[in-house]
Amino acid sequence: MLVRMVKDGHIRLLPIHVANKIAAGEVVERPASVVKELMENAIDSGATRIDVTVTAGGRKLIEVRDNGGGMGRDDALLSIERQATSKIRDVDDIERIDTLGFRGEALPSIASVSRFTLKTRREVDEAGSELVIVGGSLQDVREAGLPVGTTISVRDLFFNVPARRKFLRAFQTEQAHIRSVFTLHALAHPEIGMSLTSDGRELARLPPDATLEERVRDLFGADFCAGLVPLDRTRGEIRVYGFAGLPNQTRTDRSEQYIFINRRPATAPVIAYALREAYPPLEGNRKPIVLLFIEMPPEHVDVNVHPTKREVRFHKPVDVREALIAAITEAIGNTHRHKNNEPADAPPADTKAAAHDTQDTRDTQDVSLRTLVPEAAARPFDYPAPVPLPLVDAPRPAAVPFPAPMQPAPVPPPTGKGLPLFADPHAGSPWRWCRVLGQVGGRYLLLETDDGMVTVDPRAARERVLYERLMDNARSGETLSQRMLLPETVQLAPRDAARLRKHLSVVQAMGFGVAEFGSDHFIVESLPAALGTVSCRELLGNIAHDLETAGTRRGAEKWREELIAKAACRAVTGSSEPLSEEAAERLVNDLAATRMPYTCPRGRPTMIFTSYRELERKFGR
Amino acid sequence: MKFSIVRSKFLDGLQRIQNVVSGRGTLQILQNAMIEAEGDRLCMTTTDLDISERCYVECQIEEPGSTTLPIRRLASIIRELDEGKIMVEVDEDDVATVQSGSSYFKIIGMSVRDFPPVPVTEGKFCYRIDQGVLREMLRKTSYAISQDETRRVLNGVLMAFKDNKLTMVATDGRRLALVEQEIEFPPEAEAELILPNKAVTELMRLLSNEGDLKVYAQTNQAVFEIGTTMMSSKLIDGVYPNYRQVIPGACDERVVIEREALLSALRRVSVVTTDKSNATRLTFSANQLTISINTPDVGEGRDTLPVKYAGKEISIIFNPEYVMDPLKNIDDDEVYLEMNDGHSPALLKCNVPFLYVLMPLRIS
Repeated sequence: MLVRMVKDGHIRLLPIHVANKIAAGEVVERPASVVKELMENAIDSGATRIDVTVTAGGRKLIEVRDNGGGMGRDDALLSIERQATSKIRDVDDIERIDTLGFRGEALPSIASVSRFTLKTRREVDEAGSELVIVGGSLQDVREAGLPVGTTISVRDLFFNVPARRKFLRAFQTEQAHIRSVFTLHALAHPEIGMSLTSDGRELARLPPDATLEERVRDLFGADFCAGLVPLDRTRGEIRVYGFAGLPNQTRTDRSEQYIFINRRPATAPVIAYALREAYPPLEGNRKPIVLLFIEMPPEHVDVNVHPTKREVRFHKPVDVREALIAAITEAIGNTHRHKNNEPADAPPADTKAAAHDTQDTRDTQDVSLRTLVPEAAARPFDYPAPVPLPLVDAPRPAAVPFPAPMQPAPVPPPTGKGLPLFADPHAGSPWRWCRVLGQVGGRYLLLETDDGMVTVDPRAARERVLYERLMDNARSGETLSQRMLLPETVQLAPRDAARLRKHLSVVQAMGFGVAEFGSDHFIVESLPAALGTVSCRELLGNIAHDLETAGTRRGAEKWREELIAKAACRAVTGSSEPLSEEAAERLVNDLAATRMPYTCPRGRPTMIFTSYRELERKFGR
Repeated sequence: MKFSIVRSKFLDGLQRIQNVVSGRGTLQILQNAMIEAEGDRLCMTTTDLDISERCYVECQIEEPGSTTLPIRRLASIIRELDEGKIMVEVDEDDVATVQSGSSYFKIIGMSVRDFPPVPVTEGKFCYRIDQGVLREMLRKTSYAISQDETRRVLNGVLMAFKDNKLTMVATDGRRLALVEQEIEFPPEAEAELILPNKAVTELMRLLSNEGDLKVYAQTNQAVFEIGTTMMSSKLIDGVYPNYRQVIPGACDERVVIEREALLSALRRVSVVTTDKSNATRLTFSANQLTISINTPDVGEGRDTLPVKYAGKEISIIFNPEYVMDPLKNIDDDEVYLEMNDGHSPALLKCNVPFLYVLMPLRIS
């Protein structure tokens, strides 16, 4: 970033006041930090190809080769010499090192703790330069025949700093760190071809000029991509784009949250907060998978909070939060508005037309995410699809034809009824086509979809469906309540009764005909018509309890309604009888039509997806 | 044990009682029918521990005895055999040999000692009811049974033997169906039984249109004796809510409606309902009923039909399913709907002693 290796005379000292702002810190902490600094330099050199080679977790060798602008001999010397010398002269004087510039210390500090070789050539030069530095002292400068670009080799890192060497972890650990640094930069720059080789084994080879989604697929595989939805939204001066993981694919930590601010891997507390808000509550405090690029005017972000620049500070954190929440909710909240483009019971499309469509859709979707076109963003991943199956002319029973059968369709579509869920495959339904196979264990529903097998927990599904119905009613302000033939009286504990009394008007406005009946008794005369059968005792108890434990959570409007709806859904009594075929299909349809089909209102998953690929892998095929 | 039996009789008996056998379930013995050969008839019993069924079939017994055999497999074999005499012999290891014509089967059974005891047909009281009548009564009420498992007492029909009448009631807290029938029994036999939903379904299957059946009632179970078939069921323990108090006394307005016309109009209009929103508005004006539905995001539907009505205009909202349910299960040409206003309970009646209370929906 700082060492522009393009032309002589471009290496410059930063003004002291800028340098002083830079937080102190060691640049070279472990092999991965070397990789980071060298890759950043390579990216800044305008390279289109960067090859990273490491040996023994980076202890023996780290080599970063780029085909960027390269440097002339003077620049090359300058980039090493001045700072290297200063560092060697006064190792303890951190203050002084800091004054030497913003990141200008990278190469010299690396060179000071390793056997360092810099080979570089500009296109205009006949011959390149090779510099050899050992432990910070320049050993040799010579002319050499070299390709255009820069190659930096760092051997025997920390050979002269035994204390540091001792703290290095196992090869595997260091290699994992290197890999994650590599991944971050590979994601941030899909236009650059990159490769990572460790101990002679190629861990990644990424072609240049990739779109973001191609890069993600190359790095993580297609299965990973299937659980992501693209997003792109600009709000004010802030643009948020990238991918959000569906709420049913979560991790226990943030290790799969890739966040880039102005293309720089970074994070900030407000981002974690925004993610928590944007996602529905996830079971067990799990973290969603995200790949987010936040772009904003550079003056609105302060990257100098932390020496490694991993943590940044925003000048207007609220704007960033709002932009993130809006972008993510829009993406994972499903593009429901887009549905009903096509009647669900449309006759099966002509095979050829379908094949043709596939091609078309793929072409239109093959838009680089760097130049994000809105339509492309609103669509889920599109795989390099195998040619659609040559469908037999026999009509596929009730299975909806999809314009783009991207996976090999379940072969052959078994007899029995398919559920025409959404004609539009991009309509935000978790599946394009599905068929209820039955109920297992007297409880879970098993579905067949075109991508794999889905196990649905009917109870969680029902809670989600009812929750959204109740909230829809609450939002529309019109509630329909069914009067009870036999009103039920419920006695609550005095504390619960007091809480319920406090919020009784909200409860009533949502269609619950609950009234006080004297001395902590309440009478339930009517219930929201959407709710079905509930246990009134549990209902009132849940509501009272949840209202209390929530306190006055976040300024979000309708929080009380949300709470009440959640509490009510929990009180809904499911029959222990197995679901009838129609009831199961209806439930599955209703679930697919919800805004957030993947979790119940409490954040438990409603469905578990097992792809055919996963099954094949498990069966060793 | 050894007997010979006519195929069609054997099969008929097996089919009558095999319904309670679920086909899955944890207890292997419950997949079996207990078969006892004694005198000149075979006694076959199945149970799922809540409901037991038993039937008697004529046969020639050469050697009395008892065993249990997997009923579904046995019935499948018998079904596939040609009509004629079937020889069945069971050894002491409960392995049955089935022979008919050129066919020969061996079926592995289980010991009768493992089979749960089945209730006997003795009860404190015995009521005699016409089969067709009981079936009609069940048909007119059973759809209103509550599926809500937290209120156990509502998960069945109430059979109240009182004042020389059998009153049958079912409700799910939103609507209530009630039928009455005069039957004869001694005053000391007055009792209330709550028959669970599953037994109601099973009983309706077993009942034919002719002949009487006997009901033996005990405190926690009832036995229904239908010809040579018997069904016994556990009863729901508890006190049924006082249903009399929810039946509105006198209503101000009364509408006479053609049942078929109302049912088909509701069917048509409810096409535009969804699970989310199914409010159906019934507006009664002079000799006219307008049914209208307006579902946001779906559409609206409206239908009018002539009725006999001269009262004030009433507009009332119902869940259309709750109106259609009774209409589907009664046979009268005309029904009467009695109401006070748009928000009090309404009453549906017909010319037989049938009564249906339904609570309107309220928009706020």
